[in-house]
Amino acid sequence: MTTLDFLFLLSLSTVLILLLFGRRPMAGWFAVAAYAMQLIMLLAIWKGFSGDISVPSSFHFMIQGHQLHWGMNGLGWFFALITIIAAMLTSAFSAGEWGQQQKNMHLQHVAMAVNVFAMLLLLSSMDFLSLFIGWELVSWAAYLMMTQRGGKAADAAFRYLLYAMAGAMMLLTAIVLINVRIHSFQFEAFWDALPVLPSALLWTISLLFVGAFGIKMALLPFHLWQATAYSETPGAGAAFLNAIAARMGLFALLIVLLKPIGMERLQILAMPLFAFIDAQSLLLWLAALTAIIPTFIALQQTDARLLLTWHGIGQGGFMLLGLAVGTPMGIAGGLLHILNYASYQAALFLAVTAVIYRAGTADLDRLGGLITRMPWTFIVLLMGIIGLAGLPPMNGFVSKWLIYKSLMDANMPMLLVAASISTLGTILSVYKLIHNIFLGQLRKAHFTLKEAPLSMIAPMLILVLIAFVTGAMPGLALTIVDAAQAALGYDLLPHHLGGITWPSGSLNMLWVTGILFYGIGIGAVIFLFLGNKRHVTHQWDNYAGGHFLSAKTPYQYSHNFYPGLMRIIGGWFGQQVLNIEMGLRHFAKLLSEVFYDSYQVVYASLYLVAALVVTLALIVKG
Amino acid sequence: MIGPVLLIALPFLGAFLLPLVYQHYLRAAYWAAPMVVITNLIIALALWFGVSMVGPQSLLMGGFAAPLGITYYIDHLALLFIILLLAGSLSLWLGAWHRRLQEEMLTLLLIGSGTGMALSGDLFNIYVFFEIMAVASYGLTASRRHCGQSFAASLRFLIVGALGSSMLLLGIALIYALTGTLNLSHLAVLAPELLHGTTGLAAFAFMLIGLGVKAELFAVNTWVPEVYAHAPIRVIALLGGFVSKLAMLIIVRLLLLLYAGSDAYLILLGFGALGLLTAEFAALHATDLRRILAYSSMGQLGLIAIAFSIPGEAGLIAGVALAAHHAVAKPALFLLIENWGGHWQKLSGAVKVAPLASVIFLIMTLSLIGVPPLPGFWAKLLLFQAGLTAGGIFNWAIVLIVLTTLIETAYWLRINRQLFQSENNQPPVNIPPDRELWPAALLLVLLLLISLNIGTISDELTQMAYHANDTETYIKHTLPMWQTGE
Repeated sequence: MTTLDFLFLLSLSTVLILLLFGRRPMAGWFAVAAYAMQLIMLLAIWKGFSGDISVPSSFHFMIQGHQLHWGMNGLGWFFALITIIAAMLTSAFSAGEWGQQQKNMHLQHVAMAVNVFAMLLLLSSMDFLSLFIGWELVSWAAYLMMTQRGGKAADAAFRYLLYAMAGAMMLLTAIVLINVRIHSFQFEAFWDALPVLPSALLWTISLLFVGAFGIKMALLPFHLWQATAYSETPGAGAAFLNAIAARMGLFALLIVLLKPIGMERLQILAMPLFAFIDAQSLLLWLAALTAIIPTFIALQQTDARLLLTWHGIGQGGFMLLGLAVGTPMGIAGGLLHILNYASYQAALFLAVTAVIYRAGTADLDRLGGLITRMPWTFIVLLMGIIGLAGLPPMNGFVSKWLIYKSLMDANMPMLLVAASISTLGTILSVYKLIHNIFLGQLRKAHFTLKEAPLSMIAPMLILVLIAFVTGAMPGLALTIVDAAQAALGYDLLPHHLGGITWPSGSLNMLWVTGILFYGIGIGAVIFLFLGNKRHVTHQWDNYAGGHFLSAKTPYQYSHNFYPGLMRIIGGWFGQQVLNIEMGLRHFAKLLSEVFYDSYQVVYASLYLVAALVVTLALIVKG
Repeated sequence: MIGPVLLIALPFLGAFLLPLVYQHYLRAAYWAAPMVVITNLIIALALWFGVSMVGPQSLLMGGFAAPLGITYYIDHLALLFIILLLAGSLSLWLGAWHRRLQEEMLTLLLIGSGTGMALSGDLFNIYVFFEIMAVASYGLTASRRHCGQSFAASLRFLIVGALGSSMLLLGIALIYALTGTLNLSHLAVLAPELLHGTTGLAAFAFMLIGLGVKAELFAVNTWVPEVYAHAPIRVIALLGGFVSKLAMLIIVRLLLLLYAGSDAYLILLGFGALGLLTAEFAALHATDLRRILAYSSMGQLGLIAIAFSIPGEAGLIAGVALAAHHAVAKPALFLLIENWGGHWQKLSGAVKVAPLASVIFLIMTLSLIGVPPLPGFWAKLLLFQAGLTAGGIFNWAIVLIVLTTLIETAYWLRINRQLFQSENNQPPVNIPPDRELWPAALLLVLLLLISLNIGTISDELTQMAYHANDTETYIKHTLPMWQTGE
């Protein structure tokens, strides 16, 4: 028994115990404890691997002469760490009051545990067959989590599953194509063969891989399913899915294609007919488009959950952008962004869930002014959006800085512009998010609202604290990133506690944070001690734009936010991809009707006669 | 060697003696038919181990040497399908609540003729057994009393079946005209010269259509939804699960022995691909649960046909794996829906009243879709492997399979959603307790056992395919005076 075996066993027994006893009142806290134990076991694995040497699992079997085996290296560990912490904190969120209000908490607990188990299995896969098994399990586990609420959620989950199956079939085709060529399902054999694979085959395989894994991470043009599916999932589960589930696609893409050896090959793999485009640029631009378009779709949303999930898709593009640059700094930036994003996105989603718990809606047109009622949730959301927008002092800034920097160093100015456009969209829409929920005037219906209970506030605060600490001291997170980067085979990015020292420009977040708080401190001193005395009025006794506002004319410009911007860019949202999807669905429906009608018993004789005539004609001719 | 003879003779004997037993010893009669099947199963298993030890064996019927006499050839491929048929029909006896002479007789006839067909090495002999099997299945499908639709469906089945049989006969006649022999191993020797022309291929097409009626191949499978919608559940499970595979086995034998190296595989591929495409899409549109199962079954057989059409051992392995998997998964589904007939949307919230049945349904459908680590996935993997290795036109077949897998996922999952999630808080559907649960649960256990032992089983399959593909051994065993190459 190795440490990894223990981790698997722990995870599996968590599933089983929750399945059997998940209805008990304390099941939620049990789940938290179980994830904590898994976390400890995971930390015990940390010492076991170095470079691309992994901690093996003693569970393996042979089929048709191919070995399936599992083991965890630094890359898998990095993702597993995020997974387990996300599961632990979101479970803590649901263990208290929130979970008691849910109708099917038992299923939610089980689904979460199944997801964690499936992801651990996927993250430890050591060959293509185990990768595929893990991949399918993760897909179905995510479906289980999304579909629980029924109704709209189940519809969205169903759509997801069809996408996921398409991806799975692409993956299966790709790995079988590889096996046909190199007679092995082992990763190492594939990497060894990568430099000599014929271009046509490599294009096919790469496109299949990018399609398969891109569906999971909602890469353009496979992005349609994710926003509705994730946002319809019950709160805690949705936070978990948002934080890490879609990143499984990145993990898989990293281990199969984006190791240095694969990256070198992609860089010289010219596109047929358009030789000036290589596979790497194609991937980069796909990532850039994914970073831009969904972000601006997010800007249009009026539901807080949808807004966040659309951002999740865009940030996924950002991560891929960094990873696909393929330099040590790009890889470090992309990986770090995965970790950072998980911390603040989970916090944001939990904060929105807390708002829904109290106010009953996440509709941005029906909220406002909650800052006076839910101050802690406000602080969480504020810190979260600073991270999401990529501003100091939160950790989102560090990873985005690394990605920008890597694009600059790699001489990709156009992509840098694309990344900046994406960030602009993010800043605009996260402002909309915080304004419409917490700022402005409180609605009458919300006068009696209370702050969310401690059991919900605490996990959110822990998450944003992680986001803050790893922002001020990115060296902590970069140490973990190092292990993942080493497992991939890239050079490590030299770093210290506060950031990195780099020839073309260094970053020390300790300084940045220090100066920021110094400035805030001066501001606070001026505001508190040097200004006039504070005079608090009722919020409806106010004025805006030179007009006095009263209870009769509340100030709440939340509906139709950014009308000017929308007038300019609104016409570009043509929903072409949606139309294609709808077209495919209708085509399938049409085909099914035609074929269904063709199965009439009386036709059989007709077919037989036709077949007879044709065959006899052939005989006569022959 | 008496085993193979008993294997065929016992069920026939049983079938003809059963009325007498029923008249005189009613108590014993209840056990007579199952005992015959159990005896046969024991013999078949003994033969299986025999073949494992000493390799394939042959038997000259009546002592006349081939090509004049009729030879039987016993290898793992044939035995596998026979064991499936026997074990399957035995499991169908489990939990049966009313025993009826007529059905038991016909089932025994079906078993006897199916076994004979699988073992026989003579085309005309195969035809005779095929006809007996066909007649028995017409009778069985009509055996649900007081059901006009059932009679009508089986009458239509009879018409299509009769047309198909005449096609088969036409094909056999063409072969006889071309070669002057009907012994399979003799034909195998002569085939490369005489049968690989247009006429020979036409003969194959005719035989394919004829056998295709039972194998649920495209264009002659239109009887399937009609019959499956009205016939007794156990009969459907038997026909769709096991008898169809026996017909497929004959097609494979013909392809391997007579048409290896010719273009015949393209014909099978075409029928298979068309069947897969049309049936899976039709299943998406169907609303009646029994019909959905029928279309899915036709689609799966199309898939099996595609697998068998891939030249070489890899295709054979994939085909056998798919066929065996389907023979386990589909009967279980059929058995579950005894009380679930009608529109699939009526099943809303069935998990609350029939939890075990719903779980069995879920697992079986997941396996059919090919979700790892269930056996259906490994079968599909083998198929992908074989298809992409063969390349060329088979690449397109794989594209088609990918597409239809999506369709399959859509319609199976749609039903599972209905089972496990009751929308709008409707009261759960009223399902009476299911008698057919025992055999279905048994098949589920079997499925799970297979997924646990998948490594060993795939090795066995490889071995089996190697022997089945070995035409020379077949000829050497059944036609001692004709040595190949002379």
